[in-house]
Amino acid sequence: MVTEFSSSAVSDNARRRSRVSSLLRYTVVLALIAVFVFLSVQAPGFLNPSNLLNILVNNFALLALVSLGMTLVVSTGGIDLSLGTSIDIGSLVFVSLISSQHQLLVALLGAVLGALAVGAFNAFLVAVLGITPFLATLGTLFIGESVQQLTTNGGQPIYLITGTLPAGFTFIGRGDLIGIPFPFYIVTVSIVGFFLLAHHTQFGRQVVALGARAGVAWYSGVRIRRISALVYILSAIICGVAGIILSSTVKAYVPLSGNAYLLDAIGATFIGTTLHPLSRPSVAGTALGVLLLSIVTNGLLLIGWNFYWQQVARGILIFAVLAVSFLNRRVQT
Amino acid sequence: MQAGSLIALVVVMIYFAIAAPGFRSFGNVANVLEQSAILGVLSFGMTIVMIGGGSNVITGGIDLSLANNLGLCAAVYASLLQSGQPDALAVFLTFFTGLSVGLLNTIAVVGLGILPLIATLAVMNICAGFELVLTQNTVIPATSPFLAALADNGPLGISYLAYIFVVLAFIFIVGVEFTPFGLRLYAVGAYREAARAAGLYVNCYIAVSYVLSGVCAAVGAILSVSLLNGSSTGSGAMLLSVVVSALLGVVFSRRFIPTITGTFLSVLFIGFLINGFQLTNVSSYWVNGVEGVLILFVVAATSLLHRVES
Repeated sequence: MVTEFSSSAVSDNARRRSRVSSLLRYTVVLALIAVFVFLSVQAPGFLNPSNLLNILVNNFALLALVSLGMTLVVSTGGIDLSLGTSIDIGSLVFVSLISSQHQLLVALLGAVLGALAVGAFNAFLVAVLGITPFLATLGTLFIGESVQQLTTNGGQPIYLITGTLPAGFTFIGRGDLIGIPFPFYIVTVSIVGFFLLAHHTQFGRQVVALGARAGVAWYSGVRIRRISALVYILSAIICGVAGIILSSTVKAYVPLSGNAYLLDAIGATFIGTTLHPLSRPSVAGTALGVLLLSIVTNGLLLIGWNFYWQQVARGILIFAVLAVSFLNRRVQT
Repeated sequence: MQAGSLIALVVVMIYFAIAAPGFRSFGNVANVLEQSAILGVLSFGMTIVMIGGGSNVITGGIDLSLANNLGLCAAVYASLLQSGQPDALAVFLTFFTGLSVGLLNTIAVVGLGILPLIATLAVMNICAGFELVLTQNTVIPATSPFLAALADNGPLGISYLAYIFVVLAFIFIVGVEFTPFGLRLYAVGAYREAARAAGLYVNCYIAVSYVLSGVCAAVGAILSVSLLNGSSTGSGAMLLSVVVSALLGVVFSRRFIPTITGTFLSVLFIGFLINGFQLTNVSSYWVNGVEGVLILFVVAATSLLHRVES
């Protein structure tokens, strides 16, 4: 009788623990809700529709685009440290073509091709030469820095003179359709596109297979080199698009500005992996990670915290989210 | 391959020695040592973490917080000196800061089991934030007798900074490559389960590697404050150079593993390269690109070599 009682107590306990830990798997979501509620109460004007749109356009959009590429790359078991280079090269080609009076369409095409070149270089290094992604993209990043310094006389920004801009140039970064800023459409389409690509196509399943067990994927007939090459190229292209939006918003090309997104993109992607039971990256997880980072950035600004303390708070928040979800995973296993 | 890398190093040195007359002067060599000291000390820390964490880049050991930890330590040191604290206390608290950051990394990686890549990334953000809070994003000038002595020239007209760099390199080389501790650290990094089965306190070694890395950041901070007469902004930009020199050092080892000797040689190589470019009037904009090509070339050559062998 006594033993029966205690064993049922144990299983009760275990059940409660598993309920808590399955809830804790959603630490990102919980953190997001907590931050959202906190800021709605504390930050004046946070819930204002115009501010929420502002978050989506100024904080969310670019980081989300860049992180989508990173998500795909990390899914294959790689990493893309050169995404800043793709942003910068996209921006550089776009702005130089615009400033030399080319048509908008030509400039857009050129920018995408420029970014594609960076991606193709990465793909060559990783898929053909077999260099580990970390080193390959690190090499690309360093070469990209030199290329930009050499082409801009050591890092001089290229500013566009407002009078001579082609029609539609500012629309990309600042225009809006039925009250919603244009970049938001691009991001939404990209997120949906990447979601379908990553989670509902053969390509997406092959990407996951490659990331889980490259050897097994190869034996199963997955063309692993082609898949990983495509992933680096896709990542670069989406970064190039981010570069176009960035230069349209600031009406300039500022050398080496893309690197600012690198660490946040890695952070968002890996925060997103905490959602998945096998800690794999997912498009939804990444989007939540980016949303968390951008809401925090915007909200702390509204509260009127000193900019420098915001950095500390952001770091501690990321640390806390990671700590809870990793600790939880450790308790479970 | 190891011989090939050494030959490449020698060839580059000979080229610069012929092309730039000032290159081989004793003073110039000392100058390069002094300029490389900060990058070198940080790279030693990175190398130790990489040795203990294993070579897998995503799940293996890496300390992204190193460069910002240096920035934070330099800010602590400079602001303490500026507020009139005695040197000994300032040095002590600087080491305390570096050590604390190392401990925070340890807690995150060993205690909480977060992947080193993102754990140290989060700590990096925290360091960067605290540095900004302390310095308000400005340069804090600092002078003290100790700092002046460090930057002063010692015997043979070489500054003490260069001496410290060489002595530290020697200590780390001996400590990591010629002691039981070092051997075990390599064992932990190479095959953690095997090391555990052999009875090593695996977590202890990993913890020590991150703490040592934090100490390296503190040492680097003191050298940097001495060299620049104060704290500096934007120290985080050094991170990728640190990663590159630690990874590039791999080619100077027989089995393509991170070693302190290799890192020391690669830091000197990069230092001489930059110096040689300056002396031969090549634009410094090329330096990053050459570093990038170098690392790609080296790694591609190794992986092709491996493929031919197998």
